[in-house]
Amino acid sequence: MSRLQNRQTLRVDPGQTLSFTYKKKTFKGLKGDTIASALFANGIRIFSRSLKYHRPRGLYSMDGECSNTSMEVNGIPNVNTEKVLLENGMQLKAQNVKGSPELDIMGFMDSLDRAMPAGFYYRTMHKPARIWPIALKQVRKVAGLGRISPDFRMTGEYDEIYPSADVCVLGGGPAGMAAAAAAAESGLRVILLEARPRLGGFFDYRQSEFGPGVPLHQHARELEAHLQKMPNIRVFKHTSMIGAYSNNLVTAFQKGDENDDFEERYLEIRAHSVVVATGCIERPLLFENNERPGVMQIACAHRLTNTYGILPGKRAVFSIAHDLGIEAAVDLFDAGLDIAAVADIRQDSPNEALVAELAQRKIPYLSGWLALSAHGSPLKKVVLATLQGTFEKKFECDLLVASAGMTPVTGPLSMAQAELSFDHHTGFFLPRSLPAGLFAAGRIMGLNDPQAIEASGRIAGLSAAAACGKTSETALSATQATLAGRPKADRGNNLVMAPVKGRKTFICFDEDTTVKNIKQALSMGFDATELIKRFTAAGTGPGQGGIPGHNLPLLVAQHHADTGTRTRPTTVRAPLVPTLMATYAGTNHDMSKQTPMHASQKQEGGIMRRIGVWNRARYFSDDLSCRREIENVRTNVGMLDATTLGKFRIYGPDALKALQRVYVGDMSKTPQGKIKYSAMCNEDGCIIDDGVVAQKGENDYYFTTSTARAGTTVEWIRFHTRYEGWDFNMVNLTDAFGVINLAGPRAREVLAAISDADISNEAFPFAAYREFTVNGSIPVRVMRLGFVGELSYELHVPSSWMETLWEALAEAGKPFGIANFGLEAQNVLRMEKGHLIIGSESEQRTTLHDVGLGGLWDRNKKGTDTVGVVALEQTEQQDKRLKLAGFKMKNTDKPPKDGSIVVDDRIRGHVCIARYSHVLQEVVGMALVEDPLNEIGHELHIYEDECQGQLVSATVVPMPFYDPEGGRLRS
Amino acid sequence: MALTLTCPVCGKRNGYEFRYGGEDKGPKPDGFGLTPDAWCEYVHMNRCVAGIQKEWWCHKDGCGVWFTTHRDTLKNLEVDPMEAPS
Repeated sequence: MSRLQNRQTLRVDPGQTLSFTYKKKTFKGLKGDTIASALFANGIRIFSRSLKYHRPRGLYSMDGECSNTSMEVNGIPNVNTEKVLLENGMQLKAQNVKGSPELDIMGFMDSLDRAMPAGFYYRTMHKPARIWPIALKQVRKVAGLGRISPDFRMTGEYDEIYPSADVCVLGGGPAGMAAAAAAAESGLRVILLEARPRLGGFFDYRQSEFGPGVPLHQHARELEAHLQKMPNIRVFKHTSMIGAYSNNLVTAFQKGDENDDFEERYLEIRAHSVVVATGCIERPLLFENNERPGVMQIACAHRLTNTYGILPGKRAVFSIAHDLGIEAAVDLFDAGLDIAAVADIRQDSPNEALVAELAQRKIPYLSGWLALSAHGSPLKKVVLATLQGTFEKKFECDLLVASAGMTPVTGPLSMAQAELSFDHHTGFFLPRSLPAGLFAAGRIMGLNDPQAIEASGRIAGLSAAAACGKTSETALSATQATLAGRPKADRGNNLVMAPVKGRKTFICFDEDTTVKNIKQALSMGFDATELIKRFTAAGTGPGQGGIPGHNLPLLVAQHHADTGTRTRPTTVRAPLVPTLMATYAGTNHDMSKQTPMHASQKQEGGIMRRIGVWNRARYFSDDLSCRREIENVRTNVGMLDATTLGKFRIYGPDALKALQRVYVGDMSKTPQGKIKYSAMCNEDGCIIDDGVVAQKGENDYYFTTSTARAGTTVEWIRFHTRYEGWDFNMVNLTDAFGVINLAGPRAREVLAAISDADISNEAFPFAAYREFTVNGSIPVRVMRLGFVGELSYELHVPSSWMETLWEALAEAGKPFGIANFGLEAQNVLRMEKGHLIIGSESEQRTTLHDVGLGGLWDRNKKGTDTVGVVALEQTEQQDKRLKLAGFKMKNTDKPPKDGSIVVDDRIRGHVCIARYSHVLQEVVGMALVEDPLNEIGHELHIYEDECQGQLVSATVVPMPFYDPEGGRLRS
Repeated sequence: MALTLTCPVCGKRNGYEFRYGGEDKGPKPDGFGLTPDAWCEYVHMNRCVAGIQKEWWCHKDGCGVWFTTHRDTLKNLEVDPMEAPS
C-alpha cells in the first residue's frame, strides 16, 4: 500500500524500511511506524478476536485505549501494538483465535450472546455445585487473550531510577510543554513525562492554524525546540504514568528505544508540584456494532493519515459530535478520502467556518444525525439515523469515523486525590478541588482553542513554580489576561447513544460488555457504577477503562434520574496502564561483600557460602563433615578468616557511660591489657549480641560484635543514649580491619616465628589484649580468646595489611603443616565447647539467663540504666522458659538434623545444633528445651523430619563436652 | 511510599532512607519496683495516635542521626512541628 508523501506532519521515514513477520509472511513497515500502523499499512484490518464473543476487532483508538490490537510480539503476549514502535525482525502472532483473526473457528460464540447475560458465570455454572470444577476448567481455557508458559523467561534489562524535581509535568502536548517551559524559566528543575514516543499531543498531526501562517504541528515543534534549549528540563518520552501518590510522588514506566540499554525502566519521581496536562481521549459513540473493524475514532483516522501517511479507507462516513471531527473530514478529503456524509449530533454549536469547508467540498453534512448501526467485517455498510431514530439512511463505505466527543484523562487527577464532579456544560468530570501542589491544564479542563490551551498550560506552570517559592505575579496575570480573551470551554455532550436496544452496542470492548448487559445489571438491582462495573466486568480489561470511560457512569446515571452531580468516574488505581511484571521487578542487583582474603581462600579450595551480606568460606574439604580441618585445629594449628566480625572504636569523655548503657557487665572493670567479654540485651532481657571490649587509651575503647550486628550497633547505641546528650563518638571499623584466627596447640610457635613480641603464656595469657608488630612493621591488635577451645590468637590487622599478614603466617606455619579451616569446622569446634552463636542457640525470646550467661550481668552496677536489666531481674525466676541444654545421643552415631523438635506429650523445644564429634567419638549437641528438661540427666526425645514416628533419644549432659576445665585454651 | 522525612542534618529525604524508632515515650521510667506487666506496658504498648504523633527516626542510609519529628498517622505524611499539637 503506498503511503502519502510530502506531508510535513509525517513522523515516519520513507527512506528507512523495516521488516517483520506475521502469519508466516514477511511484511514491510517504515521507521517511526508503530506495529499497528505498519500492519494497517499492509492491509490488515482484523487484528484480533474479542474475549467472550470472538468478534473481529480492528484499529480503533491509536493510543491503546482497548486491547483490539493486542498481539504476541517476539514471544511476549498482550503487547499493545498501537503503543510499541516497529523494530526490524519483529515476529507477530495473533491471540485468542483458533485459526486466524480473519477466520476464527470460535466466531460462533457471537451468536450465543443470549446464553451469556451479565454475570452469567456467577449465576449459572455452579448449579448444581459439582459442575463448577468442570466449568471452571473450561472457562479458564477460553478466558484471557494472550498465552504464556510458566517456563517463559523474560529477557532484557529492566532498570529503575528515582529522580526528583521541583515540578513534574504529566503530558507532553501543548499545555504540558507550555507548563514545563513556564516552570523552568525561573530556574526550577522540571521533569516532563509523555506517553507517546513523541511530544506534540493533539497539535502534532493537525494542519489547521495556531496563528496566521503557523499550522498547529509547526507550532508544536517550535514549543518542543524551546524545551530542548532549557537544560533544567528533563523530558522522558514513551513514558506512561502509572501512579500518583500523596506528597506528589509520581510513578511511571518508560519504554527504551534502540539507543537505551534497557527494555523498560521504572521511574519514581519525587516532585514538589505536579501539573496534570494529560489531555483527552475520545468518547466512544454507542450504536449497534460500534466496534467493527473499520470503525475508528477521529484522531485514529487523522493520525493514520497525517502521522503515518496511510489513508484509513477508500470511502468513509463520519458520525461525530465535535469540531475536531469536521476538521478531520476536511483534511482527509483533501488527502484523497472519499466521504459519503458527515453526521453531527450537534444542531447548534459547530464551527460555522468548518461547516462551510464541508459545503465547499460538497460533502453532505447531516446535523442532528448519528450512526445507528455498522455492518460487515470488515465494514461494508453504515446506517445513519436522526437522534430520535425517526429517519434512516444507508451508506456503503469501508470506514466509519465515529466519536461522541471528548473525555478528559482524569485518572492521574483522581489518583492524586483531586475531587471530581460532573460539569454539564462540558460533559466532563472536572476537578472540583485540587490538593496542594497539584495543578491541571489544557484540554483536560474542557478547553479546545489552541491558544487557550497553551495559556492554561503556562498558567499551571507558573502556579506550580510559585508553589515551589518562585512567584512571578506579572507573568501570571499577563497570561491570565490572555486566557480570558480566548474562547472558553466548549459545550460538550452528556451520554451519546443511538436509539438502539443495545444488544451489540459495546460499552467495553475488552470485556465484551454491551449496553444490554448494563441494562440487565440495572434490572437485577445493581445501582452503583462500581458494582455494575464489577458485575459486568466493564472496564476491567487491559484498556483500564479507556473505552467505558465516562460513558459507564453517565449511562448508569441516566437510569437513576441522577442529574449527574454525585456521579463520579469509577475509582482508578495503579497501574493506570498495563505494565510488565519485569518492569516492576526491576533488575536484581544482588550485592555482597568479600573479605581481602576471598580470592586466595577460593584458590585454596574454600567452598564459599553467602551469610547475610558476606561471602565466607564454609568448607575446605569435599568431606562436608570437615574432619581433617577440625583435627588439624585440635592437634596442630589452623587459620580462619574472621574479618566479618563487627569492630568499633568508641571514644570521648562519655564513651564509658555509653558502653555501660548497652553492655550488661560493668565495663569500668576493663583492666588495661585485658579484654572484657560481655553481652548486650534488649529491653526484654533477651540476648542480642555478645562481644569483647578492650581499652586502648583513656576514654578510648575498641570492641567487637557479631557479624550480624555490625550494621546496627552504632544505631543501637545512639538510640539508647538519645536523651542524654553525651559527648562520645563511634567509628565503625568493621571493613577497616581484617581478622585472622590462628588456633591450635602450635599457634604460639607460628606467631613467634614472625614477631619479636613476648608471647609466652606468662607475658600474654588467656583473655589478654596486646598490640605489637609482626615482621617488623605490620601493626596488629591481638586478643587471646577461646571460641574454638584451643590456644588461639585473634589478630586484628588493618585491611590493607591483611593479605601480607596472612601470607606471613602461612609461610611461618608451613613446617607445622598449617591449614585453613572454614565456618563449618569452626561450628563443630565451638559446639564441642558448648559456646553459643546468637541466633543458633538463642531465639528472639531467649534471655541471658536462658543460655546460662546470667553471670555476665553485673548486678552491682548502679546508675547506668543499662538496657535489659529490668527484664533480666524480672525473668530470672520465671519457669517454663526454654533453656539451653547440652546433650549426647544414645545408641547412635547419627546426629539429629538441626532444628528437630524435642517432644514428650507436646513440643518441648528444639535441637539447635548436633554433630558427630571425632575427638569425643560420640554425637553431641545443644538444644533449647523447656525447663526443667534442661537439667543434667534428663532424657530428651527427638522427632526428626520424616522420621515416620521413630523418635531418637539423648541425655542432657554437662557442658563443655570437650576440655571441661578449659586447660587447652589457657595454655 | 510517598513518605518523606526531614533529617536535621541532611534535609528532606526519601522515606526509605530512614528506620522508624517508635513513638516518643520519653526517657525510661525507673524500672525497679515496676511489675513485669507495667514494664512490658512501657516497652511494648503504644498510644497508637490516630493523628499527629511525635516519633523517633534514624537516618540509617544517610548520616545515622536519631531525631524526632511529627507525623500524621492518618495521612502518613510528616507535618510541620508548628502545626502539631503540644
